[in-house]
Amino acid sequence: MTLPETIPLLGFAWDDLLFIILAAIMVGSALLVVTMRDIIRCGLAMIICFAALAGLYVFAGAPAVAAAQVLVYIGAISVLVLFAIMLTQTKAGPASLVFQTQAIPAAIAATVLALLVAVTVVATDWGETATRIWTDTTKLAGTLFADFTLPFEVVSVLLLAAVIGGVFIAKREPGGSD
Amino acid sequence: MLAALNGLSHTLDAYLILAGLLFAIGSFGFLARRNAISMLMSIELMLNAVNLAIIAFGAFTPGLNVDASVIALIVIGAAAAEATIGLAIVIAIYRNKKTPLVDEYDAMRQ
Repeated sequence: MTLPETIPLLGFAWDDLLFIILAAIMVGSALLVVTMRDIIRCGLAMIICFAALAGLYVFAGAPAVAAAQVLVYIGAISVLVLFAIMLTQTKAGPASLVFQTQAIPAAIAATVLALLVAVTVVATDWGETATRIWTDTTKLAGTLFADFTLPFEVVSVLLLAAVIGGVFIAKREPGGSD
Repeated sequence: MLAALNGLSHTLDAYLILAGLLFAIGSFGFLARRNAISMLMSIELMLNAVNLAIIAFGAFTPGLNVDASVIALIVIGAAAAEATIGLAIVIAIYRNKKTPLVDEYDAMRQ
């Protein structure tokens, strides 16, 4: 049995439906990240947001970046954030106020920003092609290790410096009170 | 009305609007939340929005296709370094102040 070309009743293609579902999951979980009271749940919603974003990267034809997104964001950064949450949570944390006093102006500013970006994007002719281009991962590897060798090495040194600096900042003082 | 959604995943505009929306949500979280770790999570959302815009431009511009993926990978690496240092600083401040709420970090106001 094969699927029909377009979705019955709705009349648009399957990949559009998948795109809309992924976009809705991403935006919805991002909203949960910034509004939920329990910060552990915020961290878990952030993982869902990153996963949906990895799906969107595959949709945009960049499977290597989607794999890196899953490995780095879901595998490393989210775990780091969850550990930091568990280290800094107090008993009074969930009961206290979630938002600062400037929350309403911030919401207005963010809405204006989103509308401004949408209007600009729609009004500008970007000179884009009609269909997506699938990134050739072999070509990507060639470019990364031939033309972009220096940035690649600089990022690896930056990561090493960040790891050493993070350990140094977060470690306890030997004669400290705790 | 649903017919207007046809071919949505083949337009650059859809990806860019989505990236702008995610960036706005992240900026709202950064400005409005009281918890320092929530603010760091909002920064991660904004970095991801920028990455989505880079990938979208690469997907619809033949000359940028491979370069966009390379730039996105480098941004992911830089974001990992940023998260490491940011969370280490939050934990160091928490050890001194015993609170993760940023509006109680007022030592420099006196």
